[in-house]
Amino acid sequence: MERSRDDFVIAIRSAFLKKGNQQKFSLLSLILFSMLFLIMGNFNFKIINFNKIVIKEIIYYSSFVANIPENFVKKSFIKVTDHFDHYDDYLSTKSELQNLKNKDLEKKIIKFENKELKKLIDDYFIEDRQAYAKVLIDKESPFLRSIVINKGSRNGVQNGMAVYDDIYLVGQIVEVNFLTARVLLISDINSKIPITIQPINVQGIMSGLDQKSGQLQYVNKEKLINENNEKLIVVTSGIGGIFKSGIPIGEINSLNSSLSKKIVVNFHRNFSQLKYVKILSHIKENINIDQSNKKIFNESNSQVIQMNNQAEDIKILKQQKIISNEIQFKLRSENSKLKNKLTITEKRLNESEKKINTDIVKTKNLEFLELNLLHGHKCRKSFFKPELHKVNTDEYKACVLKKGFIKKN
Amino acid sequence: MSNLNNNKKYLLYKYTPIFLLFTSIMNEIDFNLQFKYFSFNFAYILIFYYSLKREGSIGYILIFVAGLFNDVMNGLPMGVSSLSYLLLCTVASYLRNITLRPDIIKDWISFVITILILNFFTYTYLIIFFNYEINYFDQTSNIVGTCLFYFIFSYIFRFYDNFTLGKSN
Repeated sequence: MERSRDDFVIAIRSAFLKKGNQQKFSLLSLILFSMLFLIMGNFNFKIINFNKIVIKEIIYYSSFVANIPENFVKKSFIKVTDHFDHYDDYLSTKSELQNLKNKDLEKKIIKFENKELKKLIDDYFIEDRQAYAKVLIDKESPFLRSIVINKGSRNGVQNGMAVYDDIYLVGQIVEVNFLTARVLLISDINSKIPITIQPINVQGIMSGLDQKSGQLQYVNKEKLINENNEKLIVVTSGIGGIFKSGIPIGEINSLNSSLSKKIVVNFHRNFSQLKYVKILSHIKENINIDQSNKKIFNESNSQVIQMNNQAEDIKILKQQKIISNEIQFKLRSENSKLKNKLTITEKRLNESEKKINTDIVKTKNLEFLELNLLHGHKCRKSFFKPELHKVNTDEYKACVLKKGFIKKN
Repeated sequence: MSNLNNNKKYLLYKYTPIFLLFTSIMNEIDFNLQFKYFSFNFAYILIFYYSLKREGSIGYILIFVAGLFNDVMNGLPMGVSSLSYLLLCTVASYLRNITLRPDIIKDWISFVITILILNFFTYTYLIIFFNYEINYFDQTSNIVGTCLFYFIFSYIFRFYDNFTLGKSN
Protein backbone atom coordinates (compact mmCIF):
# COMPACT_ATOMS: atom_id res chain seq x y z
CA MET A 1 0.00 0.00 0.00
CA GLU A 2 2.74 2.33 1.03
CA ARG A 3 4.83 1.29 -1.89
CA SER A 4 2.09 2.10 -4.42
CA ARG A 5 1.70 5.51 -2.84
CA ASP A 6 5.43 6.04 -3.20
CA ASP A 7 5.22 5.07 -6.87
CA PHE A 8 2.43 7.55 -7.38
CA VAL A 9 4.38 10.31 -5.70
CA ILE A 10 7.48 9.49 -7.72
CA ALA A 11 5.49 9.49 -11.00
CA ILE A 12 3.80 12.76 -10.16
CA ARG A 13 7.04 14.36 -9.12
CA SER A 14 8.72 13.12 -12.23
CA ALA A 15 5.86 14.44 -14.38
CA PHE A 16 5.89 17.86 -12.79
CA LEU A 17 9.54 18.47 -12.12
CA LYS A 18 11.49 16.40 -14.62
CA LYS A 19 12.94 18.44 -17.43
CA GLY A 20 13.49 16.73 -20.71
CA ASN A 21 16.68 16.73 -22.70
CA GLN A 22 16.02 20.07 -24.28
CA GLN A 23 13.52 21.49 -21.76
CA LYS A 24 14.61 24.60 -19.95
CA PHE A 25 11.61 24.84 -17.65
CA SER A 26 9.76 22.18 -15.76
CA LEU A 27 6.04 21.71 -16.25
CA LEU A 28 5.26 22.91 -12.77
CA SER A 29 7.08 26.20 -13.27
CA LEU A 30 5.29 26.80 -16.57
CA ILE A 31 1.91 25.94 -15.02
CA LEU A 32 2.59 28.36 -12.21
CA PHE A 33 3.71 30.96 -14.71
CA SER A 34 0.54 30.60 -16.78
CA MET A 35 -1.60 30.82 -13.65
CA LEU A 36 0.25 33.94 -12.68
CA PHE A 37 -0.31 35.30 -16.16
CA LEU A 38 -4.00 34.58 -15.85
CA ILE A 39 -4.37 36.15 -12.42
CA MET A 40 -2.31 39.23 -13.26
CA GLY A 41 -4.27 39.67 -16.48
CA ASN A 42 -7.48 39.69 -14.49
CA PHE A 43 -6.26 42.56 -12.33
CA ASN A 44 -5.37 44.79 -15.28
CA PHE A 45 -1.78 45.57 -14.42
CA LYS A 46 -0.20 48.05 -16.79
CA ILE A 47 2.88 45.95 -17.48
CA ILE A 48 0.80 42.86 -18.13
CA ASN A 49 -1.55 44.78 -20.39
CA PHE A 50 1.40 46.21 -22.31
CA ASN A 51 2.87 42.73 -22.67
CA LYS A 52 -0.52 41.43 -23.76
CA ILE A 53 -0.76 44.09 -26.46
CA VAL A 54 2.73 43.30 -27.72
CA ILE A 55 2.02 39.56 -27.77
CA LYS A 56 -1.28 40.13 -29.53
CA GLU A 57 0.35 42.29 -32.17
CA ILE A 58 3.03 39.68 -32.77
CA ILE A 59 0.47 36.90 -32.94
CA TYR A 60 -1.87 38.78 -35.25
CA TYR A 61 0.93 39.55 -37.67
CA SER A 62 2.39 36.06 -37.52
CA SER A 63 -1.11 34.67 -37.96
CA PHE A 64 -1.51 36.83 -41.03
CA VAL A 65 1.76 35.47 -42.42
CA ALA A 66 0.81 31.90 -41.52
CA ASN A 67 -2.50 32.37 -43.25
CA ILE A 68 -1.00 33.48 -46.55
CA PRO A 69 -0.76 30.00 -48.11
CA GLU A 70 -4.16 29.03 -46.76
CA ASN A 71 -5.71 32.24 -48.00
CA PHE A 72 -4.08 31.70 -51.35
CA VAL A 73 -5.62 28.22 -51.59
CA LYS A 74 -8.94 29.56 -50.35
CA LYS A 75 -8.94 32.41 -52.85
CA SER A 76 -7.96 30.10 -55.68
CA PHE A 77 -10.76 27.75 -54.73
CA ILE A 78 -13.23 30.62 -54.57
CA LYS A 79 -12.00 31.84 -57.95
CA VAL A 80 -12.47 28.43 -59.50
CA THR A 81 -15.94 27.99 -58.00
CA ASP A 82 -16.75 31.53 -59.12
CA HIS A 83 -15.72 30.63 -62.65
CA PHE A 84 -17.92 27.56 -62.57
CA ASP A 85 -20.78 29.61 -61.17
CA HIS A 86 -20.25 32.17 -63.91
CA TYR A 87 -20.33 29.42 -66.48
CA ASP A 88 -23.58 28.04 -65.03
CA ASP A 89 -24.96 31.57 -64.97
CA TYR A 90 -23.90 32.05 -68.55
CA LEU A 91 -25.66 28.86 -69.60
CA SER A 92 -28.86 29.76 -67.77
CA THR A 93 -28.73 33.31 -69.16
CA LYS A 94 -28.18 31.93 -72.61
CA SER A 95 -31.19 29.66 -72.38
CA GLU A 96 -33.21 32.51 -70.88
CA LEU A 97 -32.14 34.79 -73.70
CA GLN A 98 -33.16 32.17 -76.22
CA ASN A 99 -36.55 31.88 -74.52
CA LEU A 100 -36.96 35.63 -74.52
CA LYS A 101 -35.98 35.80 -78.15
CA ASN A 102 -38.57 33.17 -78.93
CA LYS A 103 -41.15 35.07 -76.93
CA ASP A 104 -40.19 38.28 -78.68
CA LEU A 105 -40.60 36.60 -82.02
CA GLU A 106 -43.97 35.24 -80.96
CA LYS A 107 -44.96 38.71 -79.82
CA LYS A 108 -43.88 40.20 -83.12
CA ILE A 109 -45.86 37.58 -85.02
CA ILE A 110 -48.92 38.21 -82.85
CA LYS A 111 -48.53 41.97 -83.33
CA PHE A 112 -48.26 41.50 -87.02
CA GLU A 113 -51.28 39.20 -87.08
CA ASN A 114 -53.21 41.66 -84.96
CA LYS A 115 -52.30 44.46 -87.34
CA GLU A 116 -53.35 42.37 -90.32
CA LEU A 117 -56.62 41.40 -88.70
CA LYS A 118 -57.31 45.00 -87.75
CA LYS A 119 -56.67 46.01 -91.32
CA LEU A 120 -59.07 43.32 -92.45
CA ILE A 121 -61.86 44.70 -90.28
CA ASP A 122 -60.87 48.24 -91.24
CA ASP A 123 -59.89 49.17 -87.66
CA TYR A 124 -56.22 49.88 -88.07
CA PHE A 125 -55.15 53.36 -87.21
CA ILE A 126 -51.82 55.01 -87.71
CA GLU A 127 -50.58 58.10 -85.97
CA ASP A 128 -51.45 61.17 -87.96
CA ARG A 129 -50.20 64.07 -85.94
CA GLN A 130 -48.31 64.14 -82.69
CA ALA A 131 -47.36 66.91 -80.35
CA TYR A 132 -46.10 67.23 -76.82
CA ALA A 133 -47.55 69.89 -74.62
CA LYS A 134 -47.03 71.33 -71.18
CA VAL A 135 -49.95 71.66 -68.81
CA LEU A 136 -50.51 75.32 -68.15
CA ILE A 137 -53.58 75.30 -65.94
CA ASP A 138 -54.90 72.41 -63.95
CA LYS A 139 -57.82 73.91 -62.15
CA GLU A 140 -60.03 71.67 -60.13
CA SER A 141 -63.38 73.16 -60.96
CA PRO A 142 -66.43 71.51 -59.42
CA PHE A 143 -68.15 71.64 -62.79
CA LEU A 144 -65.50 70.70 -65.26
CA ARG A 145 -62.35 68.65 -64.85
CA SER A 146 -60.09 69.89 -67.55
CA ILE A 147 -56.59 71.13 -68.17
CA VAL A 148 -55.22 73.83 -70.42
CA ILE A 149 -52.16 72.99 -72.49
CA ASN A 150 -49.66 75.23 -74.27
CA LYS A 151 -50.35 73.99 -77.79
CA GLY A 152 -53.09 75.27 -80.04
CA SER A 153 -54.19 75.44 -83.63
CA ARG A 154 -50.83 76.93 -84.54
CA ASN A 155 -49.30 73.56 -83.66
CA GLY A 156 -51.95 71.62 -85.53
CA VAL A 157 -54.06 70.75 -82.53
CA GLN A 158 -57.65 70.05 -83.46
CA ASN A 159 -60.80 69.31 -81.60
CA GLY A 160 -61.33 65.67 -80.73
CA MET A 161 -57.66 64.72 -80.62
CA ALA A 162 -56.73 62.20 -77.96
CA VAL A 163 -54.46 63.27 -75.11
CA TYR A 164 -52.11 60.80 -73.48
CA ASP A 165 -49.88 60.57 -70.47
CA ASP A 166 -47.23 58.10 -71.65
CA ILE A 167 -49.42 55.39 -73.23
CA TYR A 168 -52.48 55.98 -71.04
CA LEU A 169 -55.48 57.95 -72.12
CA VAL A 170 -55.93 61.24 -70.30
CA GLY A 171 -58.64 63.01 -72.19
CA GLN A 172 -59.78 64.71 -75.33
CA ILE A 173 -59.27 68.17 -76.82
CA VAL A 174 -62.54 70.06 -76.47
CA GLU A 175 -61.48 73.62 -77.15
CA VAL A 176 -58.73 74.89 -79.41
CA ASN A 177 -57.25 78.37 -79.38
CA PHE A 178 -54.37 79.73 -81.39
CA LEU A 179 -51.72 79.03 -78.76
CA THR A 180 -53.59 76.95 -76.19
CA ALA A 181 -56.16 74.22 -75.98
CA ARG A 182 -58.41 72.73 -73.33
CA VAL A 183 -58.45 69.05 -72.59
CA LEU A 184 -61.48 67.41 -71.08
CA LEU A 185 -60.13 64.78 -68.74
CA ILE A 186 -61.66 61.32 -68.70
CA SER A 187 -62.17 61.82 -64.97
CA ASP A 188 -64.83 64.40 -65.76
CA ILE A 189 -68.42 63.32 -65.36
CA ASN A 190 -69.21 64.67 -68.84
CA SER A 191 -66.62 62.56 -70.55
CA LYS A 192 -68.26 59.48 -71.95
CA ILE A 193 -65.68 57.08 -73.29
CA PRO A 194 -66.74 53.89 -75.07
CA ILE A 195 -64.73 51.15 -73.43
CA THR A 196 -64.15 47.43 -73.56
CA ILE A 197 -63.45 45.36 -70.48
CA GLN A 198 -60.73 42.85 -71.24
CA PRO A 199 -60.32 39.89 -71.29
CA ILE A 200 -64.07 39.21 -71.00
CA ASN A 201 -64.82 41.57 -73.86
CA VAL A 202 -67.72 43.44 -72.31
CA GLN A 203 -68.65 46.77 -73.83
CA GLY A 204 -69.71 49.85 -71.91
CA ILE A 205 -69.38 53.57 -71.38
CA MET A 206 -67.15 55.16 -68.80
CA SER A 207 -67.62 58.53 -67.26
CA GLY A 208 -65.45 60.26 -64.67
CA LEU A 209 -65.96 59.96 -60.94
CA ASP A 210 -62.97 61.64 -59.29
CA GLN A 211 -59.28 62.30 -59.99
CA LYS A 212 -58.30 58.68 -59.67
CA SER A 213 -61.34 56.76 -60.85
CA GLY A 214 -64.16 56.52 -63.31
CA GLN A 215 -67.54 54.87 -63.33
CA LEU A 216 -68.88 52.31 -65.76
CA GLN A 217 -72.28 52.69 -67.31
CA TYR A 218 -74.43 50.52 -69.53
CA VAL A 219 -72.48 47.41 -68.66
CA ASN A 220 -73.93 43.93 -68.43
CA LYS A 221 -73.19 43.44 -64.73
CA GLU A 222 -74.24 39.80 -64.63
CA LYS A 223 -71.67 38.97 -67.21
CA LEU A 224 -69.03 40.75 -65.15
CA ILE A 225 -69.94 38.85 -62.02
CA ASN A 226 -69.88 35.54 -63.78
CA GLU A 227 -66.55 35.97 -65.43
CA ASN A 228 -64.46 37.91 -62.96
CA ASN A 229 -61.74 35.32 -62.51
CA GLU A 230 -58.95 37.56 -63.68
CA LYS A 231 -58.01 41.20 -63.21
CA LEU A 232 -60.18 43.21 -65.53
CA ILE A 233 -58.52 45.83 -67.71
CA VAL A 234 -60.42 48.72 -69.20
CA VAL A 235 -59.38 49.91 -72.67
CA THR A 236 -61.03 52.08 -75.28
CA SER A 237 -63.30 50.14 -77.58
CA GLY A 238 -62.95 52.43 -80.56
CA ILE A 239 -66.72 52.51 -81.06
CA GLY A 240 -67.87 55.86 -82.38
CA GLY A 241 -64.51 56.57 -83.97
CA ILE A 242 -63.42 59.13 -81.36
CA PHE A 243 -60.50 57.13 -80.09
CA LYS A 244 -58.74 54.21 -81.62
CA SER A 245 -59.36 50.89 -79.90
CA GLY A 246 -57.08 49.42 -77.25
CA ILE A 247 -55.84 52.53 -75.43
CA PRO A 248 -55.37 51.56 -71.77
CA ILE A 249 -57.44 53.53 -69.27
CA GLY A 250 -57.48 51.67 -65.97
CA GLU A 251 -58.49 48.50 -64.22
CA ILE A 252 -61.34 47.17 -62.15
CA ASN A 253 -59.98 45.88 -58.88
CA SER A 254 -62.89 44.20 -57.20
CA LEU A 255 -66.41 43.44 -58.25
CA ASN A 256 -67.81 42.52 -54.87
CA SER A 257 -71.44 43.50 -54.62
CA SER A 258 -71.07 45.34 -57.89
CA LEU A 259 -74.63 44.41 -58.77
CA SER A 260 -75.99 46.90 -56.33
CA LYS A 261 -73.17 49.47 -56.44
CA LYS A 262 -71.32 51.32 -59.17
CA ILE A 263 -68.50 49.66 -61.01
CA VAL A 264 -65.42 51.77 -60.42
CA VAL A 265 -62.46 51.95 -62.78
CA ASN A 266 -59.16 52.91 -61.18
CA PHE A 267 -57.14 54.97 -63.62
CA HIS A 268 -53.56 54.05 -64.27
CA ARG A 269 -52.51 57.66 -63.81
CA ASN A 270 -53.42 60.28 -61.28
CA PHE A 271 -54.69 63.28 -63.24
CA SER A 272 -53.85 65.78 -60.54
CA GLN A 273 -50.15 65.13 -61.19
CA LEU A 274 -50.08 65.84 -64.92
CA LYS A 275 -47.23 68.01 -66.14
CA TYR A 276 -46.63 67.06 -69.75
CA VAL A 277 -49.03 65.35 -72.14
CA LYS A 278 -48.94 63.93 -75.61
CA ILE A 279 -51.54 64.92 -78.18
CA LEU A 280 -52.23 62.42 -80.90
CA SER A 281 -54.61 62.05 -83.76
CA HIS A 282 -55.12 58.80 -85.57
CA ILE A 283 -56.26 58.12 -89.06
CA LYS A 284 -57.06 54.94 -90.81
CA GLU A 285 -54.25 53.68 -92.94
CA ASN A 286 -54.76 55.05 -96.40
CA ILE A 287 -54.01 52.25 -98.76
CA ASN A 288 -53.31 53.74 -102.17
CA ILE A 289 -53.27 50.79 -104.36
CA ASP A 290 -51.57 51.58 -107.60
CA GLN A 291 -51.00 49.06 -110.34
CA SER A 292 -47.74 47.63 -109.00
CA ASN A 293 -49.18 47.43 -105.52
CA LYS A 294 -52.25 45.75 -106.92
CA LYS A 295 -50.03 43.20 -108.59
CA ILE A 296 -48.15 42.55 -105.38
CA PHE A 297 -51.42 42.41 -103.52
CA ASN A 298 -52.85 39.90 -105.97
CA GLU A 299 -49.68 37.86 -105.91
CA SER A 300 -49.56 37.79 -102.16
CA ASN A 301 -53.28 36.98 -102.12
CA SER A 302 -52.77 34.08 -104.45
CA GLN A 303 -49.79 32.97 -102.39
CA VAL A 304 -51.93 33.10 -99.30
CA ILE A 305 -54.61 31.06 -101.03
CA GLN A 306 -52.01 28.58 -102.22
CA MET A 307 -50.55 28.33 -98.77
CA ASN A 308 -54.00 27.82 -97.32
CA ASN A 309 -54.65 25.08 -99.85
CA GLN A 310 -51.32 23.50 -99.05
CA ALA A 311 -52.09 23.70 -95.37
CA GLU A 312 -55.41 21.96 -96.00
CA ASP A 313 -53.67 19.32 -98.11
CA ILE A 314 -51.16 18.78 -95.35
CA LYS A 315 -54.02 18.45 -92.91
CA ILE A 316 -55.71 15.84 -95.11
CA LEU A 317 -52.43 14.00 -95.62
CA LYS A 318 -51.80 14.02 -91.92
CA GLN A 319 -55.26 12.57 -91.31
CA GLN A 320 -54.66 9.98 -94.02
CA LYS A 321 -51.37 9.12 -92.41
CA ILE A 322 -53.06 8.70 -89.07
CA ILE A 323 -55.71 6.46 -90.62
CA SER A 324 -53.12 4.39 -92.52
CA ASN A 325 -51.12 4.06 -89.35
CA GLU A 326 -54.19 2.79 -87.55
CA ILE A 327 -54.89 0.33 -90.37
CA GLN A 328 -51.29 -0.80 -90.35
CA PHE A 329 -51.45 -1.31 -86.64
CA LYS A 330 -54.64 -3.32 -86.93
CA LEU A 331 -53.19 -5.42 -89.73
CA ARG A 332 -50.08 -6.09 -87.72
CA SER A 333 -52.09 -7.18 -84.72
CA GLU A 334 -54.28 -9.42 -86.90
CA ASN A 335 -51.21 -10.83 -88.56
CA SER A 336 -49.64 -11.69 -85.24
CA LYS A 337 -52.89 -13.30 -84.10
CA LEU A 338 -53.08 -15.39 -87.27
CA LYS A 339 -49.45 -16.40 -86.88
CA ASN A 340 -50.19 -17.59 -83.37
CA LYS A 341 -53.20 -19.52 -84.62
CA LEU A 342 -51.10 -21.09 -87.41
CA THR A 343 -48.45 -22.30 -85.00
CA ILE A 344 -51.14 -23.76 -82.73
CA THR A 345 -52.80 -25.58 -85.67
CA GLU A 346 -49.43 -26.84 -86.88
CA LYS A 347 -48.75 -28.22 -83.45
CA ARG A 348 -52.16 -29.88 -83.35
CA LEU A 349 -51.65 -31.31 -86.85
CA ASN A 350 -48.32 -32.79 -85.84
CA GLU A 351 -49.86 -34.29 -82.74
CA SER A 352 -52.77 -35.78 -84.72
CA GLU A 353 -50.33 -37.14 -87.33
CA LYS A 354 -48.34 -38.80 -84.60
CA LYS A 355 -51.55 -40.22 -83.16
CA ILE A 356 -52.64 -41.53 -86.54
CA ASN A 357 -49.29 -43.17 -87.07
CA THR A 358 -49.41 -44.85 -83.69
CA ASP A 359 -53.01 -45.93 -84.40
CA ILE A 360 -51.95 -47.43 -87.72
CA VAL A 361 -49.13 -49.30 -86.01
CA LYS A 362 -51.53 -50.46 -83.33
CA THR A 363 -54.14 -51.66 -85.85
CA LYS A 364 -51.44 -53.45 -87.82
CA ASN A 365 -50.27 -55.14 -84.66
CA LEU A 366 -53.82 -56.07 -83.74
CA GLU A 367 -54.41 -57.45 -87.20
CA PHE A 368 -51.21 -59.44 -86.95
CA LEU A 369 -52.15 -60.75 -83.52
CA GLU A 370 -55.60 -61.73 -84.77
CA LEU A 371 -54.13 -63.51 -87.76
CA ASN A 372 -51.49 -65.01 -85.51
CA LEU A 373 -54.20 -66.52 -83.35
CA LEU A 374 -56.02 -67.94 -86.34
CA HIS A 375 -53.21 -68.91 -88.65
CA GLY A 376 -50.09 -68.92 -86.51
CA HIS A 377 -50.03 -72.65 -86.27
CA LYS A 378 -49.82 -72.90 -90.05
CA CYS A 379 -46.56 -71.00 -90.12
CA ARG A 380 -44.93 -71.98 -86.83
CA LYS A 381 -41.93 -74.27 -87.03
CA SER A 382 -42.28 -77.52 -85.11
CA PHE A 383 -40.79 -80.90 -84.87
CA PHE A 384 -43.20 -82.21 -87.43
CA LYS A 385 -42.99 -79.18 -89.67
CA PRO A 386 -39.36 -78.24 -89.85
CA GLU A 387 -39.78 -76.40 -93.16
CA LEU A 388 -41.86 -73.64 -91.48
CA HIS A 389 -40.55 -70.45 -89.77
CA LYS A 390 -39.43 -69.54 -86.34
CA VAL A 391 -41.72 -67.27 -84.31
CA ASN A 392 -41.01 -63.48 -84.44
CA THR A 393 -39.00 -63.71 -87.59
CA ASP A 394 -39.94 -61.68 -90.62
CA GLU A 395 -40.78 -64.80 -92.63
CA TYR A 396 -43.09 -65.92 -89.87
CA LYS A 397 -44.82 -62.54 -89.80
CA ALA A 398 -45.18 -62.57 -93.60
CA CYS A 399 -46.59 -66.07 -93.43
CA VAL A 400 -49.11 -65.08 -90.75
CA LEU A 401 -50.16 -62.03 -92.70
CA LYS A 402 -50.72 -64.21 -95.74
CA LYS A 403 -52.93 -66.42 -93.54
CA GLY A 404 -50.59 -69.36 -93.65
CA PHE A 405 -50.30 -69.59 -97.41
CA ILE A 406 -46.76 -70.41 -98.17
CA LYS A 407 -45.36 -69.83 -101.46
CA LYS A 408 -43.96 -73.07 -102.56
CA ASN A 409 -40.87 -72.93 -104.60
CA MET B 1 22.76 10.25 -50.03
CA SER B 2 20.85 7.87 -47.78
CA ASN B 3 22.25 9.74 -44.80
CA LEU B 4 20.87 12.99 -46.22
CA ASN B 5 17.50 11.38 -46.73
CA ASN B 6 17.55 10.08 -43.20
CA ASN B 7 18.38 13.56 -41.95
CA LYS B 8 15.46 15.01 -43.86
CA LYS B 9 13.16 12.35 -42.50
CA TYR B 10 14.43 12.98 -39.00
CA LEU B 11 13.77 16.70 -39.38
CA LEU B 12 10.26 15.92 -40.57
CA TYR B 13 9.82 13.55 -37.67
CA LYS B 14 11.08 16.12 -35.20
CA TYR B 15 9.35 19.29 -36.35
CA THR B 16 6.03 18.06 -37.74
CA PRO B 17 4.21 18.06 -34.36
CA ILE B 18 5.34 21.63 -33.67
CA PHE B 19 4.39 22.75 -37.15
CA LEU B 20 1.00 21.04 -36.88
CA LEU B 21 0.33 22.54 -33.47
CA PHE B 22 1.07 26.11 -34.52
CA THR B 23 -0.64 25.73 -37.88
CA SER B 24 -3.79 24.38 -36.28
CA ILE B 25 -3.81 27.23 -33.79
CA MET B 26 -2.90 30.09 -36.06
CA ASN B 27 -4.84 29.15 -39.13
CA GLU B 28 -8.21 30.61 -39.84
CA ILE B 29 -9.43 27.11 -40.53
CA ASP B 30 -10.85 25.78 -37.34
CA PHE B 31 -11.90 22.20 -37.06
CA ASN B 32 -15.60 22.93 -36.95
CA LEU B 33 -15.78 21.94 -40.61
CA GLN B 34 -18.87 24.09 -41.03
CA PHE B 35 -21.16 21.57 -39.38
CA LYS B 36 -23.50 22.95 -36.80
CA TYR B 37 -23.04 20.36 -34.09
CA PHE B 38 -19.62 19.02 -34.91
CA SER B 39 -16.20 20.25 -33.85
CA PHE B 40 -13.11 18.92 -32.16
CA ASN B 41 -10.02 20.28 -30.49
CA PHE B 42 -7.08 19.20 -32.56
CA ALA B 43 -4.50 20.80 -30.26
CA TYR B 44 -5.62 18.64 -27.31
CA ILE B 45 -5.22 15.46 -29.36
CA LEU B 46 -1.84 16.47 -30.71
CA ILE B 47 -0.38 17.59 -27.40
CA PHE B 48 -1.67 14.57 -25.49
CA TYR B 49 -0.50 12.09 -28.10
CA TYR B 50 2.99 13.49 -28.51
CA SER B 51 3.51 14.11 -24.80
CA LEU B 52 2.52 10.52 -24.15
CA LYS B 53 4.34 8.82 -26.98
CA ARG B 54 7.34 11.05 -27.58
CA GLU B 55 8.68 12.90 -24.62
CA GLY B 56 10.01 16.28 -25.52
CA SER B 57 8.82 16.22 -29.11
CA ILE B 58 7.01 19.48 -28.43
CA GLY B 59 8.80 21.52 -25.83
CA TYR B 60 6.81 22.74 -22.82
CA ILE B 61 7.69 26.31 -23.63
CA LEU B 62 6.39 25.89 -27.13
CA ILE B 63 3.19 24.41 -25.73
CA PHE B 64 2.91 27.36 -23.37
CA VAL B 65 3.42 29.79 -26.27
CA ALA B 66 0.94 27.86 -28.40
CA GLY B 67 -1.58 28.25 -25.58
CA LEU B 68 -1.00 31.99 -25.55
CA PHE B 69 -1.42 32.08 -29.33
CA ASN B 70 -4.65 30.14 -29.05
CA ASP B 71 -5.99 32.51 -26.40
CA VAL B 72 -5.20 35.54 -28.53
CA MET B 73 -6.73 33.96 -31.62
CA ASN B 74 -9.90 32.89 -29.82
CA GLY B 75 -10.20 36.00 -27.66
CA LEU B 76 -9.86 34.13 -24.39
CA PRO B 77 -8.06 35.55 -21.31
CA MET B 78 -4.37 34.98 -21.84
CA GLY B 79 -3.07 31.92 -20.05
CA VAL B 80 -6.24 29.82 -20.10
CA SER B 81 -5.23 27.54 -22.97
CA SER B 82 -1.61 27.45 -21.81
CA LEU B 83 -2.74 26.15 -18.46
CA SER B 84 -4.99 23.54 -20.07
CA TYR B 85 -2.28 22.38 -22.46
CA LEU B 86 0.33 22.15 -19.72
CA LEU B 87 -2.03 20.22 -17.44
CA LEU B 88 -2.71 17.88 -20.34
CA CYS B 89 1.03 17.45 -20.72
CA THR B 90 1.33 16.70 -17.00
CA VAL B 91 -1.27 13.95 -17.19
CA ALA B 92 0.34 12.52 -20.31
CA SER B 93 3.74 12.61 -18.62
CA TYR B 94 2.36 10.90 -15.51
CA LEU B 95 0.74 8.22 -17.64
CA ARG B 96 3.98 7.65 -19.51
CA ASN B 97 5.79 7.19 -16.20
CA ILE B 98 3.35 4.62 -14.84
CA THR B 99 2.57 2.74 -18.07
CA LEU B 100 4.45 -0.49 -18.69
CA ARG B 101 2.45 -1.84 -21.61
CA PRO B 102 0.96 0.93 -23.79
CA ASP B 103 -2.58 0.32 -24.95
CA ILE B 104 -4.61 2.69 -27.09
CA ILE B 105 -7.84 2.01 -25.20
CA LYS B 106 -6.25 2.89 -21.87
CA ASP B 107 -4.69 5.99 -23.43
CA TRP B 108 -8.05 6.97 -24.80
CA ILE B 109 -9.83 6.50 -21.47
CA SER B 110 -7.18 8.62 -19.75
CA PHE B 111 -7.50 11.24 -22.47
CA VAL B 112 -11.29 11.39 -22.10
CA ILE B 113 -11.13 11.73 -18.31
CA THR B 114 -8.38 14.34 -18.58
CA ILE B 115 -10.15 16.56 -21.08
CA LEU B 116 -13.39 16.30 -19.11
CA ILE B 117 -11.65 17.47 -15.95
CA LEU B 118 -9.65 20.11 -17.81
CA ASN B 119 -12.73 21.51 -19.47
CA PHE B 120 -14.55 21.49 -16.18
CA PHE B 121 -11.82 23.60 -14.61
CA THR B 122 -11.51 25.85 -17.65
CA TYR B 123 -15.24 26.57 -17.78
CA THR B 124 -15.35 27.07 -14.05
CA TYR B 125 -12.74 29.81 -13.92
CA LEU B 126 -13.95 31.33 -17.15
CA ILE B 127 -17.42 31.69 -15.68
CA ILE B 128 -16.45 32.63 -12.14
CA PHE B 129 -13.46 34.92 -12.70
CA PHE B 130 -13.96 36.21 -16.21
CA ASN B 131 -17.78 36.28 -16.51
CA TYR B 132 -17.84 34.32 -19.72
CA GLU B 133 -21.03 32.79 -21.08
CA ILE B 134 -20.57 29.31 -22.43
CA ASN B 135 -22.74 27.42 -24.87
CA TYR B 136 -22.67 24.03 -23.19
CA PHE B 137 -24.20 22.21 -26.11
CA ASP B 138 -21.42 23.33 -28.44
CA GLN B 139 -18.76 22.57 -25.85
CA THR B 140 -20.19 19.10 -25.23
CA SER B 141 -20.23 18.35 -28.93
CA ASN B 142 -16.61 19.61 -29.10
CA ILE B 143 -15.55 17.30 -26.27
CA VAL B 144 -17.35 14.33 -27.84
CA GLY B 145 -15.77 15.10 -31.21
CA THR B 146 -12.30 15.40 -29.64
CA CYS B 147 -12.73 12.06 -27.84
CA LEU B 148 -13.86 10.31 -31.00
CA PHE B 149 -11.14 11.77 -33.18
CA TYR B 150 -8.38 10.78 -30.79
CA PHE B 151 -8.49 7.25 -32.20
CA ILE B 152 -8.22 8.34 -35.80
CA PHE B 153 -5.44 10.84 -35.20
CA SER B 154 -3.45 8.51 -32.97
CA TYR B 155 -3.42 5.99 -35.84
CA ILE B 156 -2.47 8.70 -38.32
CA PHE B 157 0.35 10.01 -36.10
CA ARG B 158 1.66 6.52 -35.49
CA PHE B 159 1.60 5.81 -39.19
CA TYR B 160 3.41 9.09 -39.88
CA ASP B 161 6.09 8.36 -37.27
CA ASN B 162 6.64 4.92 -38.71
CA PHE B 163 6.82 6.40 -42.18
CA THR B 164 9.36 9.07 -41.28
CA LEU B 165 11.60 7.14 -38.95
CA GLY B 166 10.85 3.53 -39.84
CA LYS B 167 9.25 0.88 -37.68
CA SER B 168 12.46 -0.38 -36.19
CA ASN B 169 13.25 3.05 -34.76
